Amino acid sequence: MILDTLGVGLLGTSTEVYHKVKQYSKIYSSDISSTIWGHLDFRLPPLYAAFVNGVAVHSMDFDDTWHPATHPSGAVLPAVIALSEAFPQKKKISGLDLLLAFNVGIEVQGRLLRFSNEARNIPKRFHPPTVVGTIGSAAACAKLLALDRVKCKNALAIAASYAGAPLANAATQTKPLHIGNAAKHGLEAACLASQDLQGNKQILDMESGMGAFYTDYSPQSLPTLQSYAWLLDQQDVAIKRFPAHLGTHWVADAASAVRRKLVESSDNLLPLDKIEKVIVKVPEVKYVNRPNPNSEHEARHSFQFVACSALLDGSMSVQSFASENIQRPALRELLCKTQLQHPADNKPSFESLYCEVTVVLQDGNTISDRCDTFYGHWRKPLKKEDLEKKFQSNASEVLPAEATEGIIETVYNLEKVKDCSILSKFLSGQSARALSEKLRLL
Amino acid sequence: MNILWETVTSSFASFIHAVRPEHLTKTVRYRSKRMILDSIGVGLMGSTTPVFDIALQYCRLYSSVAVSSVYGRPGMKLSPTLAAFTNGVATHSMDFDDTWHPATHPSGAVLPALLAASQMLPPSTKPNGLDFLLAFNVGLEVQGRDFHWLTWLFHAHTCTFPLRFHPPSVVGTMGSAAATAKLLSLSMTQCAHALGIAASLAGAPMANAATQAKPLHIGNATRLGFEAALLAARGMEANPVILDDIPGCSGFSAFYSVYQPKPLSTPSDHHEFLLEKQDIAFKRFPAHLGMHWVVDAALSVRNLFINYAGSFSPSLIRTIVLKIPVSKYINRPFPSSEHQARHSFQFNACTALLDGEVGLSSFTESSIHRQELRELLDKVVVEHPEDNVANFDKMYGEVALLLHSGDVLTGKCDTFYGHWRKPLSRESLLKKFRSNASHVLPEEKVETIITMVDNLENMSDSSQLACSL
Repeated sequence: MILDTLGVGLLGTSTEVYHKVKQYSKIYSSDISSTIWGHLDFRLPPLYAAFVNGVAVHSMDFDDTWHPATHPSGAVLPAVIALSEAFPQKKKISGLDLLLAFNVGIEVQGRLLRFSNEARNIPKRFHPPTVVGTIGSAAACAKLLALDRVKCKNALAIAASYAGAPLANAATQTKPLHIGNAAKHGLEAACLASQDLQGNKQILDMESGMGAFYTDYSPQSLPTLQSYAWLLDQQDVAIKRFPAHLGTHWVADAASAVRRKLVESSDNLLPLDKIEKVIVKVPEVKYVNRPNPNSEHEARHSFQFVACSALLDGSMSVQSFASENIQRPALRELLCKTQLQHPADNKPSFESLYCEVTVVLQDGNTISDRCDTFYGHWRKPLKKEDLEKKFQSNASEVLPAEATEGIIETVYNLEKVKDCSILSKFLSGQSARALSEKLRLL
Repeated sequence: MNILWETVTSSFASFIHAVRPEHLTKTVRYRSKRMILDSIGVGLMGSTTPVFDIALQYCRLYSSVAVSSVYGRPGMKLSPTLAAFTNGVATHSMDFDDTWHPATHPSGAVLPALLAASQMLPPSTKPNGLDFLLAFNVGLEVQGRDFHWLTWLFHAHTCTFPLRFHPPSVVGTMGSAAATAKLLSLSMTQCAHALGIAASLAGAPMANAATQAKPLHIGNATRLGFEAALLAARGMEANPVILDDIPGCSGFSAFYSVYQPKPLSTPSDHHEFLLEKQDIAFKRFPAHLGMHWVVDAALSVRNLFINYAGSFSPSLIRTIVLKIPVSKYINRPFPSSEHQARHSFQFNACTALLDGEVGLSSFTESSIHRQELRELLDKVVVEHPEDNVANFDKMYGEVALLLHSGDVLTGKCDTFYGHWRKPLSRESLLKKFRSNASHVLPEEKVETIITMVDNLENMSDSSQLACSL
């Protein structure tokens, strides 16, 4: 998760939304302790580094997704890395400290999501990373700061007052800020708590506390630490293969399979003009139902777009969302022929949804395929080579080879790293060769 | 002519963009200047609190482009959004700031951002006093409108006190975004995006009310709304229909259980500012607004009691009955912190009975834990008459003393002094301001601020106001 998130974040530094928040954050560049991933040329205070890097991570909707639905890593990793750099010289944070804090942040999010049945389905009201992600970030940072129990509690309480952004900004340029802000505000909450600011001691218990974000809220105490059962043990995350809403990954796999069948039966050519209709069977998820997307943000949240794009190209990639590709005539034509259907048995839950794509030809023939579990889903996780390939492809857009290799090695051996600042140095693209040699000597 | 707006959101963006100083009426100017003065005083007072200290120490870590003033710290500057944050925290730190109907604290969410923003702009484009006053009123109007949709749905007997989200954190953030967008002269599209981005920064749960974290709600409302406007100014885009009802995918409606938004009329259509129809309440002492009714009721029954018994003799009292509306977060029989005490009907009633007044010093540690007060608190029972609605327009407070002798003395308050139905006189408002401001500023500065706000429309450079703090 850490490796994937770093890669996705590095790639994200090439986006427009990232550029805007970077310009904005530079106003505040005084205390410059923290690395901006992919940038050697400037640094920011931890709060804004967390914000900017968090935006990068979610800028293309390429980051991991969990069940119940949220994007867990983006809300936590930027905050803990930024914070780790703000400690005084003599206090080193080890790789194990970082790994533990990260997992605390993930676990807290998972636990909170299980306090509501409503959370099991794809959201409608609040964007989950802004609810649980903020609390997760606060928890992770509180852990890294080694706050006492009372202060940990206050960190959670203060964070709650920053939580919650409406879903309507999904599929717009503002959505990436949801993750950026979750990371930033969680960090801020932990910092305020460490200065002894106090909030409601029962923030997670009360309906007027975290319960404010849910219509059904039933919190439960965490089990004791003796043989603690981490949620990540029982439930893995999904890693995306292309930068779009998770729901579209089923569509892509089904549509690609249909294309293969089509091409086989037509002399290896796609019979575009013979296609009469494209029917895409998906669950009902209003914010991913866009028949006519115009911006990259809309395209990443469109079942129809991904179906047509995968039919045309055979697979989805980062390039699929470039504006030339979004606007190409062949795609627009195919979109006009595309319709969604919502079978009653297709539930809007990342655990159980499926997609069936059917192409109806003019001669009446139909070609179909169904995808129950796409490659990258937790039931069919990416293999090590493919995870690394994704990372390399992302990271190499902004970092030299030694840095990308260095990050892979550091993350795989995180528990043994004595001083995790080496990770930040690689992330900034700093004299990578010297550093990677240093890493080998560890 | 009524222009048919495509969306509610675009009607708001258009209002923010197109409204001009000429649209402000005399009443609106008058009332809003009173709010500005009171808010500054309360903020200055608030700069003496521990929560303010924590916020300030935290913000100083990031004080790079330090151009904006901090209440009560002459000479110290912070970056604009953090100055807004700190001053917002100061404003709400003691729950001494203004309250509107429907319930929110409008000024604290808007003024700090405007003060900070005015110092941020280059000398050639400094807004004048009238621009400032207009931007302030835009911030109020947007908050009121965001809330107004809710009230007309409820009839008299429905509770309108917030249950889930603390209103300043919902509407306040939007108000701040609107106000700063106006001050920064953003285009209509940018105004719409500022609102959209702000929605993703809004919303804090009620549970942190009556804790030290509550002041952050106003601090963050003013700061994050400001950030939203700054991001929109740099081209950030959000959902262009954020205020509209979007079935299946919540926008601003996420914060409400029932949501029926309506477009804002254009300023040219004789737009009537809400402040014209509905004034603000100013607090006489630093506690939740609801406390003001029981305190006035308690003071009146105290007078009766003194006439009856010659002096205030608690031993003669068997029971104290408080008749109050139902509202969990202000019903606290034995508060243990200042934040809880400010949100306790019982505490405020008993303090008024014991001391004959409630003021700043009523909420110190020693005052809260006094033995005599605890003894009185022990005698309190609470009743919730059906006709006492949890609504700042309709509620009342009644305090009855049931004496051992069998006699019953009662005091009732329908409208406390400071409520919009019985507004503070100019002398009372100035007295409150001077008392607050002089805690941290010398007399000449205090008088300068009063004069500046009085003559706000004639100021050529409104950043002078912020510089004088």
